[in-house]
Amino acid sequence: MTGDGHHHNAPPNPFLENRRNAAETRVLEERTRKLEELLVSKKLVATDALDRLVDLYENDIGPTNGAAVVARAWIDPDYRQRLLEDATAAIRELGFGGMQGEHMVVVENSPEIHNVVVCTLCSCYPWPLLGLPPDWYKDPAYRSRVAIEPRRVLKEFGLELAESTEVRVWDSSAEIRYLVLPERPEGTERYSEAGLAALVSRDAMIGVALVEPPHK
Amino acid sequence: MDRQPDQQIANMHGTAALPRRNGELVFHDDWERRVFALAVTLCEQGHFRWDEFRKELIASIAARDNSLENTDLSNSGYYVHWLAALEKTLANIGMIPLD
Repeated sequence: MTGDGHHHNAPPNPFLENRRNAAETRVLEERTRKLEELLVSKKLVATDALDRLVDLYENDIGPTNGAAVVARAWIDPDYRQRLLEDATAAIRELGFGGMQGEHMVVVENSPEIHNVVVCTLCSCYPWPLLGLPPDWYKDPAYRSRVAIEPRRVLKEFGLELAESTEVRVWDSSAEIRYLVLPERPEGTERYSEAGLAALVSRDAMIGVALVEPPHK
Repeated sequence: MDRQPDQQIANMHGTAALPRRNGELVFHDDWERRVFALAVTLCEQGHFRWDEFRKELIASIAARDNSLENTDLSNSGYYVHWLAALEKTLANIGMIPLD
């Protein structure tokens, strides 16, 4: 792909590699305009409604399948083991795919170790599991600072870790995407798998938050 | 806004899958957005079922793949097929005249 070998996703589709030439674009614009005008004149569509619709799809945060993966790992020790050994396969077991050849690696939090994920070069992100990345994930400040001063950045997220906790920062790339397996909070022993999944936030799976106990 | 995207549109598989970059939809030109919006809106209004449109979309993409003589077409981009499929679908139901 690009010279540095770093790209978000191998395009699954006939993307345009190059811009269309201006004449081609004009023809397509004209075809589209004619079609839209015809439909508007028949009062079948309204122009402002079309704008709102595109906005809806462009800002769709998508699935948060990662929470189901975390919940399964909490209730099923064998699954947890498979997830930590080969996350790509274990995640596929639950029917979640859509990655284009990237490997998933799941890193587990414990009282001794806290994991946090970043993509220092751009914003590589396991979107089939977590939906669209939040704006701060793509922010150059987060990307550069979390690797250098993770404790301070986490504190800004409201997450204060014990001095004795080791912080590990994982740098995602085109080839490897990381997901944090958070600690199961206390007081959830009787929770169902679906009930547990509902507690798991996107931020906890990036590692900038903990999964909070249900009663605080 | 409490409206949700239709998952059978947002999560199409195979050759028909929406081009995304790191999860976000990719449009190159504004007319591509218009075509997307027209097709989805008319389907939501019940003028055709999504699988009727998708069938035309897949057929258009497949016809491109099978055409040997014109290599330029290989880089025509995904939404050219949306435009062709929408025109075909609307002609099929008599909403626009057949060319």
